[in-house]
Amino acid sequence: MWASIAGRLFWRELKRGELWVIAFALFLAVGSVVSLSGITQSVKSALQQRSAQFTAADRVLGSSQPFDDNVFAVAAGLDVATARQMQFDSMLFAGEQMQLATIKAVSDSYPLRGDLVLHRSASITSGPAGQLTPGEVWFEARLLDLLQVQPGDSVELGEARLVVGGVIINEPDAPLSVFGGSPRVIMHLADVPTTNIVQPGSRISYRYLFSGNTAALDELTEQLQPLLSVHQRWRNLDRESAIGSALERAERFLLLAGLLGIVLAACAAAVAASRYSQRHTQAVAIIKALGATTAKARLLYGSHLCLVVLFSLVLGLLGGQLAIFAAEFGISHYISDYRTEFSVRPLLLGTLTCIICALLFAARPLWQLAKTPAIEVLKQPAVAMKLDKWQLLFGAGAIWGLMWLFSGELLISVGLFLLCGLFAAMLLGFAAVMVKLARPVAAGQSSAGRLALANLRRRLWPNSFQLITFSLAIFLTLLLYFLRAELIGQWQQQIPEGAPNHFLVNVSAEQRAQVTAFTQNNNLQPEPFYPVVRGRLITINNETLQQEASKEDRSEQRVGVGRELNLTWLAEIPDNNKIIEGQWFTDTTAAEVSVEQEIAERLQLKLGDTLDFSLGGQQISTTVTSIRQVDWNSLQPNFYMILSPDVLATFPATYITAFYLEQGSGKLINQLARQMPTVTVISVDAIINQVNDIIAQVTIALSFILIIIALAAALVLVAQVQATLEQREQELAILRTLGAKYVFLRNALLLEFAFLGALAGLFATVLAELLLMTLQQRVFEMPFQFHFALWWMGPVIGIVAVSLLGWWQLRRLLQIPGAVLIRRVIQS
Amino acid sequence: MAIVGASGSGKSTLLSLLAGLDIPSAGAIEMAGHSLHNMSEDERAGVRARDVGFVFQSFLLLPSLTALENVTLPAELSGDKKARERGLALLDQVGLSARADFFPSQLSGGEQQRVAIARAFITKPAILFADEPSANLDAVTGKMIEDLLFELNDSQRTTLVLVTHNAELAKRCQRQFQMRSGRFVASEPSAEDTANVG
Repeated sequence: MWASIAGRLFWRELKRGELWVIAFALFLAVGSVVSLSGITQSVKSALQQRSAQFTAADRVLGSSQPFDDNVFAVAAGLDVATARQMQFDSMLFAGEQMQLATIKAVSDSYPLRGDLVLHRSASITSGPAGQLTPGEVWFEARLLDLLQVQPGDSVELGEARLVVGGVIINEPDAPLSVFGGSPRVIMHLADVPTTNIVQPGSRISYRYLFSGNTAALDELTEQLQPLLSVHQRWRNLDRESAIGSALERAERFLLLAGLLGIVLAACAAAVAASRYSQRHTQAVAIIKALGATTAKARLLYGSHLCLVVLFSLVLGLLGGQLAIFAAEFGISHYISDYRTEFSVRPLLLGTLTCIICALLFAARPLWQLAKTPAIEVLKQPAVAMKLDKWQLLFGAGAIWGLMWLFSGELLISVGLFLLCGLFAAMLLGFAAVMVKLARPVAAGQSSAGRLALANLRRRLWPNSFQLITFSLAIFLTLLLYFLRAELIGQWQQQIPEGAPNHFLVNVSAEQRAQVTAFTQNNNLQPEPFYPVVRGRLITINNETLQQEASKEDRSEQRVGVGRELNLTWLAEIPDNNKIIEGQWFTDTTAAEVSVEQEIAERLQLKLGDTLDFSLGGQQISTTVTSIRQVDWNSLQPNFYMILSPDVLATFPATYITAFYLEQGSGKLINQLARQMPTVTVISVDAIINQVNDIIAQVTIALSFILIIIALAAALVLVAQVQATLEQREQELAILRTLGAKYVFLRNALLLEFAFLGALAGLFATVLAELLLMTLQQRVFEMPFQFHFALWWMGPVIGIVAVSLLGWWQLRRLLQIPGAVLIRRVIQS
Repeated sequence: MAIVGASGSGKSTLLSLLAGLDIPSAGAIEMAGHSLHNMSEDERAGVRARDVGFVFQSFLLLPSLTALENVTLPAELSGDKKARERGLALLDQVGLSARADFFPSQLSGGEQQRVAIARAFITKPAILFADEPSANLDAVTGKMIEDLLFELNDSQRTTLVLVTHNAELAKRCQRQFQMRSGRFVASEPSAEDTANVG
């Protein structure tokens, strides 16, 4: 019987709009958790599948030096299968088209693990299978479009002409870059010599692939150890776990960022539940007076929460799942293997979030509601809501619990929780100060302004919720706008007029004259040629360096650079470099090195230290005689280590130069690349495009969070305004009785919300300016620039958004004729 | 019987104690064989469900239930399967059968109080407490409500305890108790009879 009453009451309350805020808040929380978690899971599994299903070998030895046959001899002796692989970047030509590509040349036995799947067609979905044979190259599908070729057409790679076999469907050990890279090409190792691309000093990565049983592989590792030079390193095959953990971090970050919205939504639910329970105090008193026990009242009203939770949970799970499907369109653009995957985890996480939010944010007011004594039936119902300390405590506990659930780490959750508390306290202090400061200003204003300020001051504590939510939403809006519209533009403007925008890398000693002739013929102003020798820093003051910083190995050993460095030698210090310690090389200098300031700090180097480098198997020893400051924004070739000319002159080097070329001179670059196919041309525009691409992706993620937070912010405002509805009704009735006109009341109301919006906007602006300042200085390394537009945009967005929402909520109250309002208040 | 007195004389407090809505800080209250003063809130709720009916000054209908649902609420809470039929019959008796599906906000003050009276009688209570039942209504409607209350009281043979400051209304009761500052100061027809009230 009670169930039928509960059902009827629930349905009516739902129709009266009483439960919608709670329902929508929970829906928002569930939907955002499911979608955020589901999308990152799908991305993760897409990348993992690509990696885990196909590994080209059991062990991989990488080197920057040509293949050493001794290594293969050891492997053959141990019955370990081997394959060879070379990888380098080079330009490909087809008629008028050209494209920089990553070329992988492999031996017949490649791959030792997984499958190389090639299609003899332009389509990745169908076509006859192909096989890797000399004379043919296989393209990543997008390269066919870029070069405008079809299978069967021929392309030029270096000095060789090769036929396009078709497209690569599966490449076992393709790099797992979310942001992509150059298009990939696979060719037979036997064709490499005819291309004539491999020159002394060329940047080529050699890989020895091994497969066999674990014991044999371990033995191989053991036996090879003494043979290996510093240029040869075992490559970490555990990439999937590395990517997995990176994505796990991304998922945690997104969930925690989304958590802000969820927490705000839950706060809205808590406020709405408190209001619901306050509005139903008398109803509970009535049914108890009519003979219902506390347990029965609890069943009646508890079932309302259960039904709302169920309703929101189902819709939230569905909505989240829909968002996951919708995201496929956006993400598959960046990750070709991305397929939406159904996983139970996001659904469980969503359900858990819903239960935590409902239990800890909304359940207490309803639990307390059932305890209302029957005697309340004879009392005047309270109008103002009381602050329930226990509910605050439960709410705070829930926020921390959710942070723990989403971050998976206790320390992070505690830190984040404290940070949020600090942020809220700061905002509250800020609001209190602003309201106080505004008081003398308001004294000179119309009485509508004074009334608005008085209302704000009185509701400062509940208003702080609104301030936090709107500040966050406006902050994100500003950030998105400025990231998209301003920062990149500003960064581009920073590049001096005529600064080099094309870099030529891999220029051989012989090609220098050709390049010079080319620049002279075309009236280009080239930078000087910088010789480059690749070398590895192996010891500092005879102390051997740990080559990679790893979490597990916390030995005292000093950590090195972790990769090969581009070393150069120069007689004169470059224009954009400044000696901050020591002296530049002189004529009598012998085996000295000048170190860039930041890397000197990282490696804890000081003047007089001895640095040993390994270059192509030879070891050289140098002394640090100067530390340089480098302007990395100059877009000139810059180096961490510059050696004195006497040390490196005998090593085979390639050269780097750069020049400025006006936009739209693509043909000239084509011509240059065709003349010197081994030279790699890097254009700054391409880098800017890549940065734009990354920003576009960050923007998508942030936009999603923004939507969640903006909705939550609106929800909090609606809940708060509804919670003050009875109080406002009473105040309006009094003001009307005292003769206040409609226009006066409307102005006071609008001013109250406008002031709240302006405060939120101002706070958001300060936050956004601080963050943009950090981004400008730390990420883009630009001098700080004030964003004047921010300072009017923030407050204006705040004023408009909050006033509109407030007005939309309260307009009906203002439209009620005075007499009706007064009667209503007297009757209640 | 009627309990009369000026505002603040303690009429409503007495009513809340008699009906088991509250418990006294001292003394004892016996009703229908139950010691209300020794019972928990829920036990008193049980007594109210079985033996007590209420009519309040401000009607106190649940706004989200229709007139009929408000009337049947106490019966449904007690698990009465015939609640609907009995509710319709009672609504007919108070002249509101045509408005059974209206919500309180769609009814006038007088109509709301008639629904409240029908609700009070649905569990056939042994005792009915009415707190200023006509105070919020105009004179004509108030008179009509009073008539209806006495009429149903007679036909259902219920003990009516009426709290009012309206001397005219009090006169319609068989007994009257005058209160001042929380004490009975006079009773009609005889003082001896008042001792049994508690």
